[in-house]
Amino acid sequence: MAANIVETGGLTRSYGDICALKPLDLRVPEGEWLSVMGHSGSGKSTLLNLLGGLDRPSGGSLRIGGEDLLLLSEDGLARFRREFVGIIFQQHHLVPYLTAVENVMLAQYFHSVPDEAEARSALERVGLGHRLNNRPGELSGGEQQRVCIARAIINSPKLLLGDEPTGNLDHQSTMMVMELLKELRAEDNFTVVMVTHNQEVATWGDRTIYLDDGVLVREERTES
Amino acid sequence: MAVVKLIPHLLSWAGIVLVLMRGFPQRRPLLAAASIAGFVFGTAGAFILFRSLSSELSFAIIKGAVGAVFLLLWGIAVAAIYSNSVRDLSFSRGARFVDAPLCAGIGALLAGVLSGSVCVSSFLATSGSPMTLLAVVLAAGVLVFVVMALDSLLPASYTVSWSGLWAAIVALLFFSSSSVIRLDIFSPLSMKVMKFSHDFVHQFFESMLIPDHLFIRTYLWGYIGLLFSKGVGFWGALTIWFTPVLLVLLAIRFELLPSVAHIRQGAQRRKQLAAAIMTRRYRLVPPVIALAVFGAAAYRSSFPSVEYWDPKPIPVSANAAGEIFIPRKGEIDLEDGKLHKYLYKKGGKEARFFVLLTPTGQLTVDLDACAICKPDGYGQAEGTVICYYCKTLIPLETVGKPGGCNPVPIDFTAREDGVHIDAMALINKWSSTVQETARVKEGGK
Amino acid sequence: MKRLLSVCWTVLSSRALLPLVCGIFLMTYIGIAFGTDDTLIALMGYTRSSVILTVLLALIPVNGACRMLAETRRFLARRRALRVETTDVPAALYDETVEMPVSPSFGDLPARLGASGYATRHTDNVLVAWRGISAFPARMLFLIATFCIFAGILVSLTTRTSHRAAVIEGQPLPTATGGGGLVERIAMRTASGLILSRVLSIEVAQSDSGDAKRVFGLYPPSTYRGYFVYPRYLGFAPVIRLSAPGGQNYETQGTLNIYPPGREDRVEIAGSPYLMEFSMEQPADGSDPFITGRVTFLFRLLKGKELLFSGSAPVGGEFVHDGYRLAIPDCKRMVSTDFIRDYGVLMIWTAAVLFLVSGCIWLPVRVFFPRREMRFAYARNVLQGSSRAEGARRRHGSVFHEALDYLESGKSKMDKTL
Repeated sequence: MAANIVETGGLTRSYGDICALKPLDLRVPEGEWLSVMGHSGSGKSTLLNLLGGLDRPSGGSLRIGGEDLLLLSEDGLARFRREFVGIIFQQHHLVPYLTAVENVMLAQYFHSVPDEAEARSALERVGLGHRLNNRPGELSGGEQQRVCIARAIINSPKLLLGDEPTGNLDHQSTMMVMELLKELRAEDNFTVVMVTHNQEVATWGDRTIYLDDGVLVREERTES
Repeated sequence: MAVVKLIPHLLSWAGIVLVLMRGFPQRRPLLAAASIAGFVFGTAGAFILFRSLSSELSFAIIKGAVGAVFLLLWGIAVAAIYSNSVRDLSFSRGARFVDAPLCAGIGALLAGVLSGSVCVSSFLATSGSPMTLLAVVLAAGVLVFVVMALDSLLPASYTVSWSGLWAAIVALLFFSSSSVIRLDIFSPLSMKVMKFSHDFVHQFFESMLIPDHLFIRTYLWGYIGLLFSKGVGFWGALTIWFTPVLLVLLAIRFELLPSVAHIRQGAQRRKQLAAAIMTRRYRLVPPVIALAVFGAAAYRSSFPSVEYWDPKPIPVSANAAGEIFIPRKGEIDLEDGKLHKYLYKKGGKEARFFVLLTPTGQLTVDLDACAICKPDGYGQAEGTVICYYCKTLIPLETVGKPGGCNPVPIDFTAREDGVHIDAMALINKWSSTVQETARVKEGGK
Repeated sequence: MKRLLSVCWTVLSSRALLPLVCGIFLMTYIGIAFGTDDTLIALMGYTRSSVILTVLLALIPVNGACRMLAETRRFLARRRALRVETTDVPAALYDETVEMPVSPSFGDLPARLGASGYATRHTDNVLVAWRGISAFPARMLFLIATFCIFAGILVSLTTRTSHRAAVIEGQPLPTATGGGGLVERIAMRTASGLILSRVLSIEVAQSDSGDAKRVFGLYPPSTYRGYFVYPRYLGFAPVIRLSAPGGQNYETQGTLNIYPPGREDRVEIAGSPYLMEFSMEQPADGSDPFITGRVTFLFRLLKGKELLFSGSAPVGGEFVHDGYRLAIPDCKRMVSTDFIRDYGVLMIWTAAVLFLVSGCIWLPVRVFFPRREMRFAYARNVLQGSSRAEGARRRHGSVFHEALDYLESGKSKMDKTL
């Protein structure tokens, strides 16, 4: 049995009087693909932000890769985000005046040092070897998302978080992106936690959890 | 006042100890002990030197030791740049040696000896009881412990390379010695560079059969003439002064990064490279600080915070027999050990001279000019006279002897009542000396 | 014996030898500086007369020659390594070498390296890739220049001979061996160039010993019988006729270095107790006496330390005072000239040109087209990857590492099967 890469115990997050995430106990084994579903405001993105170190919990415990995030300083959290986590957003947040390869190199720069050859290889892996020098505005939605994937995995994260990465894509592009993620996960063996409201996308995962008003209401294993 | 004079020395000492601790972090107790021991030896040694030898010789010995350390830094700088840029030149044995406890201990001891001797030489020539020395040693010892505490607070990643370490130590030592004008190295260095430049250009022109200045255009000869000027000595000395530290900086900056070809994961490779680059950047800090400290030392040397005794020349005249008489006692006491300047004028010509009682108890009469430099005159401070043109310090014991940048001695007769000088001989001597130095100023050929 | 030769070769071809020898000379210079103000001249003198210092100085050109050999060997070995048929390539030729247990297959790697700007050559088991221009030619020129300059200094210091003599119109050229051609004419004119304000020419007729007619200028100096003719100072050679009150008559030809006006020189009247001090009057019209030939001499006649009289007279004129009569019936132009035999001068000038050329080649190559090479070779199921770069190391390193990743991941096999 694989070790748990994510372990939460009574994890909560409140914003004033609003409790976005009620005490949550969650275990995600290493290498698993976990889909998180729920309606708008159910706490999916809140959970993702906590797992990615982008937010601090209001209570409970949170261990990612054996590291207790509550004990990390701001610098420690920044290091954790750089080295352990890759995040893909629905809005790509690519720098519009940088080319595809430069956007990937930017992630390398914040991690350690830029390496153009490695960035090119990463883009070739995601099927964009012919679009290296194009800016985001010159790429389709699917291509932009693939650049984001390359950017997210360039620093070999152990945990890849996706916040509705296919939300803005058509069906064909969505399938292409999901197929790519599956392939990359098989090669690099990272754990995926993906938030989605799309049932079809959710079935790409090994397991799906359902959140409702910040509470985990249901859990399903995907039949292979 | 004396305490204030010691501050730059003690600050330099603290800096040296801190750099040593950073350079050998596993050997703090050894370094503390060796450096304090060295400081004590240096202080005691300087005390014995000044008590048993003349102050001129004592200062010469300490100055020589400081100069030797500068040459050592040059050697280290050249070795650093070679070892970092030439893969097939290995200093692995040397590198192991400099990391060894023996080297660390010896280095700390030497640094302590030099720091101690420079520090106490700032007051030993004029005063200095054993109690004062003890107080200085105690202060230095306390500083070592303060620095040890400070060092333990600094992050471990702030490392120092061996070349950066010695660059910083030498820079701090020079800053300390630049506070003592008789240990100043920069001014004599710039004079020697000026002389070298003059000789080299002259030899080069002769060796390469280049036509004489008769045939060369005046504007061009003007540029060539710059190579004979005081400016070339200053800038040449600055170049020699800063080059070792610049070489160390370049050696560190262009250090080859470790090979990461054996690592198959890109992120790990980049992390290792980033860590190596960060370490390399931290290692640049001591040489950059050393550069600034060397600059401060050169500035202090060029503009020492010393008040020179430089009285306004008193006009004198000759009697009917053409003799100038200056009484020993009266308004001015010739035997008070201070410089007394006079001005004699006759028939459109003038001559400046001074009378001084040297530490040997003899009166001397000399031109207020030397045979080499422009006649800017002399000032007196701390047991020396200084030539204002070239900033050469001439110990009082040697004033009255001809040669080099010494003031040109004048024949005179010392009697019970005072000093008697031949006015015509004085005027002729001044005219010929000033004419000669003016000719030298014109181009040196 | 072999070990001794090996040690000697290591020392003589070491890059540390040059700074070491320079350091020794620096120490010597500093030591001499404590004793004398003419430090450089003293150092040159010691080097000339001391076998140890001469041998030390000679080590530098020897080191240069050995370095040329060593680096040429290394360069040729690297060129051989770029041939795919070469098998035994020492790791020391490269900056980094790594081994991986991977089966032989390059797949698409040559094309990928080609896309990164590398030229490639490969077989089933060996792939070499390179780009840029080697700095070896510039390096060789630099080493040759170093050899020339230090060899030139050594030769100049140890073998230079010179003698100074007065070259006078109408007299034979004063060579070391005698019998030089007659100096027909010495002329000077103003020049219009940027560097020289005046141009001098010394015309020498054919000699009886077979030397052809020659004209010597200022720069570059020409040679006569193996000696450089190096004009130094200008002057005049007047014929001086002195009649003293006692009826004694004296005639002598003086050689006076009194150019430009303001310089003084003295002449002893041979066979007499008289000494004359000469200088030249500055013409009121601003002309140059050496160019025009119109000279007015200012003189003082001394007997011992006593000044008898002073006066002036032009060429062809005379001066009478208190029974003394001084006439200057004739005056020839004179050039005080050094005759120098020095085989090192040409080497030093050659070195200067070579340094310049090597710098002009090295800088653009190093900045814009640095040489980068990599080699991948399979042997006994182990891939050995080697890389070196003369510049742009990080960029080259990243391409090399990606190539290794590509080979190790087996992508090359996938490319083949698609």
